[in-house]
Parts: sequence; structure tokens; C-alpha cells
Amino acid sequence: MTRQLTDRPRAAVETKPTATPRRRWSPRARRDFFVFLALALPNLLLIAVFTYLPLFNNIYYSTLDWTLGSASATVVGLDNYVTFFTSTDATKVLGTTAVFTLITVGGSMLLGLLVAIALNSKIRGTTFARSAVFAPYVLSGVGVGLVWLFIFDPGYGVLAWLLRGIGQQSPQWINDPQLSLVMVIIVYVWKNLGYCAVVYLAGLQSLPQDVMEAASLDGANGLRRFLSMSLPLLSPTTFFLLITTMLSSLQAFDLIRIMTPLGNGTSTLIYEAYLQAFGAFNRAGYSAAISVVLFAILLIITLLQLRFVERKVHYS
Amino acid sequence: MALNLDRRHFLGLAGAGAGAAALSACGGPSTAGPASATAASDIDFSGVKPAASFDFWSNHPGKSQDVEKAIIDQFQAKFPDIKVNLVTAGANYEEIAQKFQTSQAAKSGLPGLVVLSDVWWFRYYSNGNIIALDSAIKQLDIKVDDFQKSLIADYKYADKQWALPYGRSTPLFYYNRDHFKAAGLPDRAPKTWQEFAEWAPKLKASSGAQYAYIYPALAGYAGWTLQNNLWGWGGSWSNEWNVNCDSAESVAALQWAQDSIFKDKWAGVSSKEAADDFAAGITSSTISSTGSLLGVLKSASFNVGVGYLPGGPKNESPVCPTGGAGLGIPSGVSKEVQLAAATFLKFMTEPENTVQFSAATGYMPTRTSADMTAVLAATPQIKTAMDQLTVTRVQDNARVFLPGADQEMAKSAAAILTQQGDVQATMTALKATLEGIYTKDVKPKLKS
Repeated sequence: MTRQLTDRPRAAVETKPTATPRRRWSPRARRDFFVFLALALPNLLLIAVFTYLPLFNNIYYSTLDWTLGSASATVVGLDNYVTFFTSTDATKVLGTTAVFTLITVGGSMLLGLLVAIALNSKIRGTTFARSAVFAPYVLSGVGVGLVWLFIFDPGYGVLAWLLRGIGQQSPQWINDPQLSLVMVIIVYVWKNLGYCAVVYLAGLQSLPQDVMEAASLDGANGLRRFLSMSLPLLSPTTFFLLITTMLSSLQAFDLIRIMTPLGNGTSTLIYEAYLQAFGAFNRAGYSAAISVVLFAILLIITLLQLRFVERKVHYS
Repeated sequence: MALNLDRRHFLGLAGAGAGAAALSACGGPSTAGPASATAASDIDFSGVKPAASFDFWSNHPGKSQDVEKAIIDQFQAKFPDIKVNLVTAGANYEEIAQKFQTSQAAKSGLPGLVVLSDVWWFRYYSNGNIIALDSAIKQLDIKVDDFQKSLIADYKYADKQWALPYGRSTPLFYYNRDHFKAAGLPDRAPKTWQEFAEWAPKLKASSGAQYAYIYPALAGYAGWTLQNNLWGWGGSWSNEWNVNCDSAESVAALQWAQDSIFKDKWAGVSSKEAADDFAAGITSSTISSTGSLLGVLKSASFNVGVGYLPGGPKNESPVCPTGGAGLGIPSGVSKEVQLAAATFLKFMTEPENTVQFSAATGYMPTRTSADMTAVLAATPQIKTAMDQLTVTRVQDNARVFLPGADQEMAKSAAAILTQQGDVQATMTALKATLEGIYTKDVKPKLKS
């Protein structure tokens, strides 16, 4: 570019005192741009107002010592972050978040894949089974949580009734913090495996049948075909599910709120942020700092997945 | 006018948007002054005309929605110019507090009158969310002296009255009279927990119920009811502002509770609502609020007995805390709305209306002149709750004044009563947590 400019004849340079002429838009380009703005601007504005504005507000609030409901606050810089990372709560909350996320993501995907394989078979009743498996995913988390609470209730729940039938006492699913986490994980996996199953089913049905038949003719048995062909060919589906279910698990709220309102043993990052601000503590600034930590974790995980995991994906 | 939407203009627009976003990020709370005691001052209502309508936020304690509506109808008949909109603002005290605090932060949608529980009113006071009622009391001639002294004193701070008692309760000892009779036990509540420990094995053996006694749900208000055990053993959550939940007495009380579940195996812990477990016959006895009384009497298919809370080896009395909710007026609404709300507040707490409320829920009448004859004839068990009021004890500061303390107490109770955690270690950790809350969230806001 520099070479081109310097190579121009001196006279030509002198006759054009302004550096670059303003490009004139053709009427059509201008009309297209206007249409683009008309279509995109409302959405961009909505995203700006309801996503980025709260995000920046939240980052600002995370630097305040602010009690929710109070009209005044004190700027404390990074104190809220220091408090969080130096407290024993941080270890507990991050640990709970990791356990909840890894088990729910792994459980939903693994069970979803197994269910998808079963649903992919040509036997009677699979259409009904597909609907039945997917149904929990579209149900309200609040309703699902309430129903499962009745099932798990150690006093008069269905599970307690079954256990009493074999002379056993029900575990304290609701009061025991460790069992509470197990309970919420079970329900979360139950609710979400239908989503993974349906996505995997779509992936299984789009596998190239000619390649699978060729492998079969070459003597590969079912397990070998699955491990060496189906699974690698499903890697785009697995990658997609890994990102979406992990983001969804890290933001899981409704089941935890309904089944364990105190968050005793089930306080993941997002629920801890809720409890700190809107629970009994009213520490809005501290809660905002936890939310920023969650945002950073989500961003890093997504970037890492895009950077490293996607390399292992076979798109064709 | 020709449009010239080139890149420069577009970026200019985007920059303006970002600037607006940055500016709006500077909204929210003011950072100009210290974030300490911002309690609203008393309001002078002279010359103010009550607003034509206001919202009354309630969680309908003790399933009181119908009786609240009925009292509002009576108020409308007497004051046709003031319309009261009853709003269900939550299922419990925590949910209503959440909605109220969020409205404070949003600076909009506040009610004229709000139900506030024993653990929330002080926070509203220290945040400047509620007004002192002294001017309204004077102008509207509210008979403060006629309120139960211990109940109205709960809302007094810095020489001002910040709320009036509404759905006030104490815990009661509920027992299945049929089970007690079958076990050959006297038809009364035990005087002490030691006495009940002698009764419990007989009860469990003869009743067929899962438990002789069930501890109230920990996720509810464990910090409230466990004060009974702590006080009976000579312990407490705190003495004034000195957190002493790790004292030998407190530890002994909770160790005894743990043993009743894991060693002696006659007690359990409720998962949701002890009163429901009791009414369903899962347990022969429990402790629950007086606000649950009418519900239990309606749903239980056996004879229900109620009595005072049992004492412990150190103290037989007073070992019963007061509790429940009051009514307060937000500071963030107009004087007109505040006066209209105060007018209704006066009406709502009149002797005949507190009787009506009590009859429908089981909560205690808050006025000494309330004529409870008819109510007691229909539900004699309410008399026990009323009589127990004379032997109540003011709750520990740590429970009612430290934000989130109730939840921390519940978590510690869960560790002890469901996971068989080490009592001393759990209480030592709780003490550190409570002291941290006091130092950070309360001490800077206290009046010196």
C-alpha cells in the first residue's frame, strides 16, 4: 500500500489534497444498509440494554460494599473479590459447582447417548418413547422440583414408602447437605437427558449408512462400529452438547431453588450469588463479585472448548 | 432530510450508546456518604390527606388470606375513601423480604404497608426502609399501652417505635393425646426434656409412629425453636452482642439433641413442616408455631394436645421465645400513602380485629383488652399460647439482628442433627461466622 502511494506520479498527489476520497454509497447499498439497521438495531439495542448494560452495572456493583435495600454504598475496590477467594465459602462453592457441573454434564450426555441408541432401533413404540424421554426437558423446573420433593420426602414420600416396604429408613435427602446435592443432581440429569438424547438421536440418524454398511461387510461388530465409527462421527454433536449442557449446568437455578431453598450443600456459584444478594444476607456488592467470577469462568471454559476441544471434532 | 449512515456515524452512535451504558452503570446506590445507619426519621403528618389507595403486602401468615380480606372489607365500609389492595408478596417471611428489598433497590413499586418478621424489621430500620410510627401513633391516637408489652417492645429501637405487632406467635409443644394415653403417659406436655426422654421409648413402642418427637424443619426456623433447647441447658446463641453458641452449656444442649436422634433413636428431623408431619401421624409430638394451631386442629384425625415448651436441666422457665410478624410502613412512599397505611394499621390492630385474626389462625391476640371469650370457647388450645406469653424470653440478638444468622444456624443444626457432626467444632465454626457477620454488617450501623 505504501509502495503504491509513493509510486504515484507527483502531479497526481498534488492535485488531491485530501488523503482519501469519501466513498459514495450507491442508492441500493444505502437502502440495504438501512434495511440491515431496521432489522438488526432493535435486537442490538435489546441485547445492549438487557445483557451488556446489566453486565457492566454488575461489574460496577462488585466494587461496592452495598446492602440490598440501602440507598447508600461504599466503594471498596476489589475487596469483595478478595473476601470471596480468601473465605472457606469459596472452596465449598467452587467445589459444589464443579461436582454438580461435571456429574450433570457427564450424566446427561452419557445417559442421553445410551437412550438415543435405544431409540434409534427399529422396534415398536419408539415414537412414544422419544416423546416420553424428551417431555421432562420442556416441563417447568419449578413443577418438576415440587413433584420430586414429594418423591424424596423422607416422611411420606414415595421413595420412603418403598424403602419402608423392605424394612429400611429413608435417607435424609432434604436435610443432609451431601444427600441434597445427590438429590438435585439426580433430578437435574433426569430432566435434561431427554435433550441430549434427542440431539444424539438426530446425530445417529444422520450418520452415513453406506460407510457403516461397508464396515459391517468388513467384519466389524456392533461395538467396534460404534466405538470406531459412530462415536468419532458424532463428535460435532458431542462438542455441541458439551458446550450447551455445561453452560446450562453452570447456570442451573430453578431446581436448586425449589428443592433446597437454603442451598445447604447445593450452593453453586449462581445460587450463592442469589443467596448473598436476595437471601438473608443482602450483600449486593459481594453477590455481584461472585457473578463476575461466574461470568469469567463461563467465558474461559467456552474459549478453552473452542480452542482445544474443537480440534478433536470431525466435521465430515 | 438525507440519511448519511456511514461507518463514522454508526460508530458515533455506538459510542453514544456505550457512554449511556457507562453512565447508567453509575446509577444504583449513592456512594457519596457512609453506608451506615440511614434510618428514616419520623414523619409529621399534620395537614396531610390520606391517599385514595395503597398496597398491603402480606404473606398471609397462618393461612390468613381470608381473614385479611374480611378485615379489609370491614375497613372499606368504615373508610370508603381509602382502598386497600391486598397483595400476596411471598409465601413466607423470606420471600416477602426479598420482594421488599428488591423494590427498595429498584426504587419503585413499594407498598404502603408490609408484613415484617422478627428477623427482618431491624434490617429495614438500619437501611432506612421503614418510618418511625410515633407521629402516626400520636396523630391517629393508636392505643400503644393496650398492646401486649413484650410484643410491642420487640419493635422499639433508639426510643422510637418502628412497627406494630400483627401475626405474633410463640412455639408450642404439640402432642398426640391418643398416643400419650396408649403409652400410659399423663395428658400434658413434659415439664422438661429429661422427663420427655423417659417417656419417649414408651411412646415410640406403643404408638406405631415413626418418631416420638420430630425436630422442626431445619430449613425453616431452626434458630428460633432451638433457642428452647439452648436456654433450657443454660446456653444461648448469644448474650447481647457476645456470641456464645460454643459455650459448654450450648454444646451440651445440642449434643443431647443429637443423641436423641442417633443414640436413643426416638427423634427425627422434619424435612418440610413439622406441624404437617405431626398432623399426618408421623410423630407423636413436635414443636411448632402457634400460627399452625388451627391448621393442625383441622387436619389431624386424632386428639391434639398443646402445652408449654419443656425446660432443661438448668432452666425450666423462661425457655420460650416470641416470634412472628409485625406491620411496618415503608419510607419510600408519599406521606399521603403512609398516612392511609397508618389509618389501616390502626384498624387492623384494633382489639376486635386482633381477636378475629387470632380466631382464624391461632396467632396470639396482640391487645390486652381483646375479648377472647368466644374464641377460647371454640378453640381452648389458644389459651395455652396466650398464657405462655407471660413466660417468654426475648430472643437472642444473634438470631434476630444478624443478617443471615438464621440460615447459618440452620446449616449448623443440619450438620449436627442430620450428619452427626462434631457439636463443639460445629458451634466453634458457627461462632466465627456469626462474629464475622456482626463485625461487618451490624456493628458499623449500631447507634453508639
